[in-house]
Amino acid sequence: MDSRSKTFLCIIIPIVLLFFIFNTLALIQGFGYSLTNFRGYGSFDFVGLRNYIDLFTDPRVGRSYLFTFGFAVACTILVNIISMLLAMGLTSRIKGKSALRAIYFLPNILGALVIGYVFNFFYTYILPAIGEAIHSGFLSHSLLANPKTAWFALVICVAWQSIAMNTLIYISGLQNVPEDVYEAGAIDGATGFKRFRNITFPLIMPYFTINMVLSMKNYLMVFDQVVSLTGGGPAQSTESISYLIYNNGLKGGAFGFQSANAVVFFLLIVVVSVVQMKILSRREEQL
Amino acid sequence: MKGKARRGISLVLAAGLLAGLAGCAGQDDGKTTIELLSYKMEAVDLFNDLAAQFNAENPDLNLVISSPNEAMTILKTRLVRNDPPDMVGLGGDVDFSNLVDADMLMDISDYPGLAQVKESYLEIDKQLELVPADGVFAVPYMANAAGVLYNGELFDRHGWQVPETWSDFMALCQEIQAAGIAPFTFGYKDTWTCLAPWNALAVDLTDTELFSRVSLGEDSFANAYSQVADKQYQLLQYSGNDAFSYGYNDACTAFARGQAAMYPIGSYAIAQIKSVNPDMDIRSFVMPGSDNLEENVLNSGIDLQFVVIKDTQNKEACYRVLEFFQRAENVQRYMDEQTAVSCQEGDFTLSPHLAGMEPYLDAGRLADFPDHHYPSEMGADAMIQTFLINGDKASFLSRFDTNWTRYSRDTIAKQKAYYEALEKEGA
Repeated sequence: MDSRSKTFLCIIIPIVLLFFIFNTLALIQGFGYSLTNFRGYGSFDFVGLRNYIDLFTDPRVGRSYLFTFGFAVACTILVNIISMLLAMGLTSRIKGKSALRAIYFLPNILGALVIGYVFNFFYTYILPAIGEAIHSGFLSHSLLANPKTAWFALVICVAWQSIAMNTLIYISGLQNVPEDVYEAGAIDGATGFKRFRNITFPLIMPYFTINMVLSMKNYLMVFDQVVSLTGGGPAQSTESISYLIYNNGLKGGAFGFQSANAVVFFLLIVVVSVVQMKILSRREEQL
Repeated sequence: MKGKARRGISLVLAAGLLAGLAGCAGQDDGKTTIELLSYKMEAVDLFNDLAAQFNAENPDLNLVISSPNEAMTILKTRLVRNDPPDMVGLGGDVDFSNLVDADMLMDISDYPGLAQVKESYLEIDKQLELVPADGVFAVPYMANAAGVLYNGELFDRHGWQVPETWSDFMALCQEIQAAGIAPFTFGYKDTWTCLAPWNALAVDLTDTELFSRVSLGEDSFANAYSQVADKQYQLLQYSGNDAFSYGYNDACTAFARGQAAMYPIGSYAIAQIKSVNPDMDIRSFVMPGSDNLEENVLNSGIDLQFVVIKDTQNKEACYRVLEFFQRAENVQRYMDEQTAVSCQEGDFTLSPHLAGMEPYLDAGRLADFPDHHYPSEMGADAMIQTFLINGDKASFLSRFDTNWTRYSRDTIAKQKAYYEALEKEGA
């Protein structure tokens, strides 16, 4: 081994150790706890697979999985459509492009909790006031108070913030598409939507993959906005999986049970991400 | 040479990282440090003051009181790390039950100050033990009382009378509504507030033996809580606002601004209401859940009590701290500043806001918050909120029963074993 690779090893080993201690070891420990009735402290007993059996028979857990996946899919679609449109607008030749880009990026640098509380105020006081002014029976009640609409209010709040980051990734993708490809396409009659479908979209496919995987993973783990907007309510209709794990496992005493939930959830996210990568990367084009 | 230097640097960096994690060691200045972790964040100034006074009186001791946010979570993590404080100030709730059950607390039955504590609150602590344990594990200090807060000025102006039975109460609500005023305000967006009327009604309509009866399979919540659910649903009809749109703070503000005549909540809300309207004439009455006068009792639980952690090296010093807190002038001061009810025997002046509850307190006609017995992971508050939104009583109550059995099955197993052992001994 030459001294160069020894140096690299010296850099990498401490990091690997830290990663192992705080990530891998914690994961393994969590799996260990998932086989016990641990409360988070004190004495506990080994209960075998009981927590896993409970997990599949608990309607509250089932509902939270349904909500989280529905929420993540809705959010992923909405965010990616809007940020794709925004990105195309912001890469075209318009005045004040840099300023607009900066403005559209603003939501991303605010804290999710701050945004949550602002939206909370908006939904509770401002929107109903507007609803009353225009005599809309639907809007004159807080969207957050109705179990049927609360998830949608949450989608809007989360999307509003995360569109910024996705737009940025799409912009960098669009800038990588060389102008001459468009010119060549234009000669062959590819304009308007045809141009987007046949040239632009296939060429920014890698960015689309990244955005889909990242957003799906982020929205599956939605937490801050649930805390600040709904606290899982009304009627437990917006209890995301992460929130359930926190609320039931840490605040409540079901640490062992929710460790089992976390293990299952972790595996699910891995599966979803791998499947997404496989399907989407197959369609990527190279110039 | 260069390679060696680089390697040296990265090793130093790695060592530094690990050393940073090891944390800092305590200091020793000849005094014994007593650490008290209190969950009463709102009383932080008062406690700092009391600690300073105590330390001035006791030069050999150094009492440190910390009142962090989420104190119970901090306590749990410190117990996991095996670094507990000497004493803890906590509520008489499920956290306390779990600490007793996990065998973390010292038996303080030899502490003389226990004689000053009202019998009814010591009993409440006994009932909180998941499985009856030998010994006394806490000194109840302050209690709160929940019922109905009302706007005294509005009541005087319209000549409304404080109701004593459920029928009176409903008649009063109609009268208030007829006068064009909203009878109630609610903050049900914050799920925990759903428990306030629930608890106050449940103590009137059920008894404290219910939990062990259900655990032993002799009774069910579907049977016991049917009326409680009906009545809380009835109260919702008289809500002046969109109950599920607003949270606790919003409801306190609405009540403080006179937008509703009554607010069914505990004494702890008074400080919040007064922060909006300092001059408000807030009065209170006991929730009249039943038409049978004798069944109506005050919903009062232990809001703050002190426990000593089993492993502490400073038992004698901890007792001195307890004695200091129990002094009449300190008790009175806490009551005045926090609008609290004392768990101590003695001639204390109660806040005028709670005068309506005083006869019940004096007579000891009180019962603990039922939700102190619900395992927190079952989410009783969210279940009640769900029921209040969709009105489906049958599925709510059956869910209550299944969740209770599921989340407390380890406790139930322990209880059954305990009673079986008891029977064998008897036989």
